[in-house]
Amino acid sequence: MTSRVRPARPISPIAAAVLILGIWWLVAHNSGDGWVQALGDLVFGTLLVGIIGPAVFLRRARLEVINLPLDCVAGRVVDMQLRASTRVRVRPVAPAGAEGYIGPGRAGAPTGSLSLCPEYRGVYTHLVLDVATAAPFALQWWSRRVRVALPIALYVRPRTGAPDVTALAPREGAGDGADRPELNAGYPRGARPYRPGDTQRQVHWRATAHANELMVRESELPAAEPYVIALRLPADPDGAERMAERAQGTIALLLDRGDAVVLETDEEHGRVIAAVESARVAGRRLARAVAPGGVPAGASGPGVAP
Amino acid sequence: MSVVEAIRRANQPRPPEESVRLRVACTCTVGTAVATCASLDEVSWTTALGALALIVVGMAFSYRTRVRPPGWIKLLVAGGAIAACVFFFHSVTTSGQGVTGVEDPLTALLVTVLVVHSFHVPARRDLLFAVAASAGLMAVGAAQAIDLGFGLYVIAWMCFGIWSLMEMWLSASGGGRMSIAGIITALVGMTAAAGGVFFVLPAPAVAVRFDFLAHAGAGGVIPVPGALAGDGSEPGQLAKAGTPGGPTRIGGYLGFAKALDTALRGSLSQQLVMMVRAQRPSYWVGETFDHWNGRSWTSTTPAARPVRQSSPIVLPVPEGNVPLGPSDLQTFYVLGSTADLVFHAESASQLWFPAPKVYVADDGTVVSPIGLGKGAIYTVNSVVSAPTPDELRHAAGGLSLPVASEAAYLQLPHPYTRAHALAARVTSKAHDTYDKVEALIAWIGAHTSYSLDIPPLPAGADTVNEFLFGNRVGFCEQISTSLTVMLRSLGIPAREAVGYVPGSYNPVTDLYQIRADDAHAWVQVWFPHFGWQSFDPTAVVAPENPSPGIVALHDIGHALRQVPPLPTGTAVGAATLVALGLRWRRRRPATWAERVARSAERAGRRVGLPRLPSQTLIEYAAVVDARRGASGWTPLARAVEASAYGGRHPSLSQQRQMVTAARRLRHRRSHGRLPTARRPWE
Repeated sequence: MTSRVRPARPISPIAAAVLILGIWWLVAHNSGDGWVQALGDLVFGTLLVGIIGPAVFLRRARLEVINLPLDCVAGRVVDMQLRASTRVRVRPVAPAGAEGYIGPGRAGAPTGSLSLCPEYRGVYTHLVLDVATAAPFALQWWSRRVRVALPIALYVRPRTGAPDVTALAPREGAGDGADRPELNAGYPRGARPYRPGDTQRQVHWRATAHANELMVRESELPAAEPYVIALRLPADPDGAERMAERAQGTIALLLDRGDAVVLETDEEHGRVIAAVESARVAGRRLARAVAPGGVPAGASGPGVAP
Repeated sequence: MSVVEAIRRANQPRPPEESVRLRVACTCTVGTAVATCASLDEVSWTTALGALALIVVGMAFSYRTRVRPPGWIKLLVAGGAIAACVFFFHSVTTSGQGVTGVEDPLTALLVTVLVVHSFHVPARRDLLFAVAASAGLMAVGAAQAIDLGFGLYVIAWMCFGIWSLMEMWLSASGGGRMSIAGIITALVGMTAAAGGVFFVLPAPAVAVRFDFLAHAGAGGVIPVPGALAGDGSEPGQLAKAGTPGGPTRIGGYLGFAKALDTALRGSLSQQLVMMVRAQRPSYWVGETFDHWNGRSWTSTTPAARPVRQSSPIVLPVPEGNVPLGPSDLQTFYVLGSTADLVFHAESASQLWFPAPKVYVADDGTVVSPIGLGKGAIYTVNSVVSAPTPDELRHAAGGLSLPVASEAAYLQLPHPYTRAHALAARVTSKAHDTYDKVEALIAWIGAHTSYSLDIPPLPAGADTVNEFLFGNRVGFCEQISTSLTVMLRSLGIPAREAVGYVPGSYNPVTDLYQIRADDAHAWVQVWFPHFGWQSFDPTAVVAPENPSPGIVALHDIGHALRQVPPLPTGTAVGAATLVALGLRWRRRRPATWAERVARSAERAGRRVGLPRLPSQTLIEYAAVVDARRGASGWTPLARAVEASAYGGRHPSLSQQRQMVTAARRLRHRRSHGRLPTARRPWE
């Protein structure tokens, strides 16, 4: 997605340069002095480098992300470190962020910090940036849109929305009312091998050590059954974002209560049903979630990291 | 957006400029431009130093008040600029010197504007304006510069200007730093662009519609008006022919006098006498001689008549000349002592001169009433008749010489029997005047030798006979005199002309540099309809006006020819080999593993899967295989990683097979059949 290098508002500098050189030409050819022409040649060279040179600098500029967090939340600022071979002005496009300058500074460090504020959840494997420079003479700005690969995928989880209390309401006749016991309540019946959805609290460490595999306690009561949250995101990005936020809030509430949660989402490669043990895992799952048959939300291109 | 809105937007206050380095750089740039003008006497040094001090103070003041400039400072700047403009227009309209009178007021205007403006430069754009205005000041200075010393100021100004511009970028980019490679790239680009334009552009020409500056320089009073005088340093000395033991004048040339004694030869120096800005190279003629006595040339034309006019002085058409042809403007900058002859290209029609009158003879010789010393400037507009050889061969009718004049230009002191026989034999196959002249020039070139060190002319001997039938060694005076005499013996009107050759062309200053040893004598031959035409049997005149680029290339080539080829070639060859070796070491051939990995990445990019920095080759190969619906890349990636990290290196034949398989995979379309039959690396 690297676009062509293009000048930013070039009419004024070019018109001024043409005017200066035209006047210079007139002076040279009316004074008849070789020095005027020689000096005009130097001025021409300076203006040419000042106006065209940034395009060359920009084409040769190399930009890479060298440090970034693993996760962040939509709508919150996240900082990442970038390195550039020459000093450039960078404006994040996807995800959006604040404009900054990256590249060799007075101290000599070629790195700089860029603040992003992704509006939507998603998994970002690339940044889309508008890179601009006016080097070496600040006479004309040139810019291009580039896609910079991230060294690791950036998971932007949705905001933590209001929990969906209706989903948590006790269902009549289902036998798991409001007085539902905790996961480890009831009489222990024994131990069994770990299955996805089991929480850390259920791990029976002694049995694990004995069996040389992860074992969990098994109770007689059916209270350990996890909440299953089946998420079907709409195709509308905003609607999907709101739904994901509610799901995030609901899962956070459940996890805070100590409940087990199994999340069912549609991802790029198909449906995924798996337990979530923490809000971070839930956020990552929700970041990857897509509408059935849809494209990843907020992803800046193919190659969504597993 | 309306024009008013655009103007309002353009005049919106910009953020204050915080960079002190940028202000220092701009101050240096502007100061250099002011100093340049002072060095060219466009402003006095006192004024320049005062302006520099005020600019420094102004810059400091505007830095202090950059955040909130006081309102009165804008009024002060506007008032100062208006006053400077009023002064400029007043000076221009009252000077009466036309365009030439603009330069000094323009310098004053620009210096004043720069000084006043320096008190209100809060933003980066204002500083850029100051740099641009200093460029205007440099242009005004360049219009006055005629020597290479100006180049030092140009270099200094360019250095400060580039520093200023780079500081502007560093300031605009929030305090960055230009790398050395970036600076070198920019400088190389600038030099290449400037050099390219320099080599391509023709030399600047002067328009005849302007009035030209005329200046007497450090000359003096001529004791006898209209008489030929000595050099400018001794204006009281009347010109006279030199003597073998006497002092030499005017750089050593003895011909700019009432007589040209071919038996004498002064020691010509390398002293710069004049510089000429002209549209084409010419022989700068000073005077002509028509009477030959076997040893010396003298002029029998009536005494020069005064022509009184204000510049431009319209000169009468010389006898035998045709005022038809293109105009050729020449401005002469007198640098050293010279005669009071007004040198010019044939034939002069207008003269911008620092005196209200000049003396003009019938043969076109123009004599100054004042001594022209160092710093003198005058301009001549000549009408150059430049017929082609074919036109000269068929020249007939039209203008004819008066009988008396024709007799004067055929005069010989004695019959010159041998010279006539020689000329008749050499020109036996020529049927027209032009071919006869060319045949004689060719014969002289083939049978005589040029030397400044000739034996003394025996007493009573004839210069021409001695040269043609004696030692056949001589310099311009003997050579041209012999040609003139042979032409006259054939009945062709001819005369001797003295002056300067065009001199060396300086492509930077666009000036012909005339030194004392460029003094020369040549022949003028009269052709019906075309008048007097110059022929030089001694040297060859450049046929066209040289372009600066061609001359610079010629100079570079000449300089390169001076370089000893063997050691230089050896050094260049060794350096090239070292550079190629270093390059080869840096770009060693890719290993088989690198080639396989590159093929995988190219195949991945082709299906829209660029490799992530975090992906191992095996992970990446799996993703690519999944996208392509095949499994060809994964085993290749395993083999590469096994070799790179596991130390299990395949044999050479296996390596070749894997590279080939990777190349085939890369070119295979998605969902195509992948090579699975034989995998020797597994």
